[in-house]
Amino acid sequence: MPVVLARIDDRLIHGQVTAGWAPQLQPTRIILANNAIATDSWQSRVYASSVPPGIEVSILSIAGAASLLASRESAGERSILLTGSAGEMAELVRLGAPLVCINLGGVHFSPGKVEMLPWVYLDSQDLVALRRLLEMGVELSAQQVPGGREVSIDSGNLLELEEKF
Amino acid sequence: MIRALVMTHGQIGTELVKVVEMILGPIEGLDAMSNHGLSGDDLRVEAAAWIGSDPGLVDESNPLDPPVLIFVDDFGGSCGTAAQFCCAQCPGAAIVAGVNLAMLLGFVTWREDNDLDELVRQIVQKGRESIVRLGM
Repeated sequence: MPVVLARIDDRLIHGQVTAGWAPQLQPTRIILANNAIATDSWQSRVYASSVPPGIEVSILSIAGAASLLASRESAGERSILLTGSAGEMAELVRLGAPLVCINLGGVHFSPGKVEMLPWVYLDSQDLVALRRLLEMGVELSAQQVPGGREVSIDSGNLLELEEKF
Repeated sequence: MIRALVMTHGQIGTELVKVVEMILGPIEGLDAMSNHGLSGDDLRVEAAAWIGSDPGLVDESNPLDPPVLIFVDDFGGSCGTAAQFCCAQCPGAAIVAGVNLAMLLGFVTWREDNDLDELVRQIVQKGRESIVRLGM
């Protein structure tokens, strides 16, 4: 299934996605890949209710999302894919999701994380996952909203951040 | 007395509460919270802390007394999602999206004479009625 935006964002489905990116990219579907939410019908309902009418929503486990993304069905769809962490995105790619470029859209501060950009704070696990993504041939860029500053992330950037730990 | 939290993007909530106090004088039990810099999980934790409960405990088995009303600025945004995870299943809590000044003035004016459900009904009606094209 074609993906128009694969985004790491710990707020998952929220305004920057539904009011910011969606009108720009005109997705037919938003895929939220998260093992805990996929098995929790209440949380799934809350996230699904945040999606504007006219856009389908799929809330799937990481494995379920990887298999949907790898399938040749629904080739006419345009999906926005969301995960809450770099580790989950790396797992999707490892399981066969054909992603070309990953957007670091919102990874907020919590203890143990170091600032890469004002909207991207990473810990050592995130760095391992991002490095794995680069090794699997996926491009990384950080951009919060359409028209906002876009920063390309390479292994040099990750190394620079590693030295801050 | 019903307490309220105005959870918003940026400083919308803080400024709305300031303006309510400019109009009506100092208000107890009306607070503001910004989502700025917070992950979805941390926003939920902060909201639960304002309610005065552990995040995991605000559910059907935990009736809140006094009741709480959470206003959020945008339906479908991170504040509304966090507020719902925090207390939507909890008796004694209500969440209303689309907060505006008229709704907050209504909250302060009507909260002592109504239960939570009736207060929410009046506030939602007031909010809708306050959106009017002028000069026509």
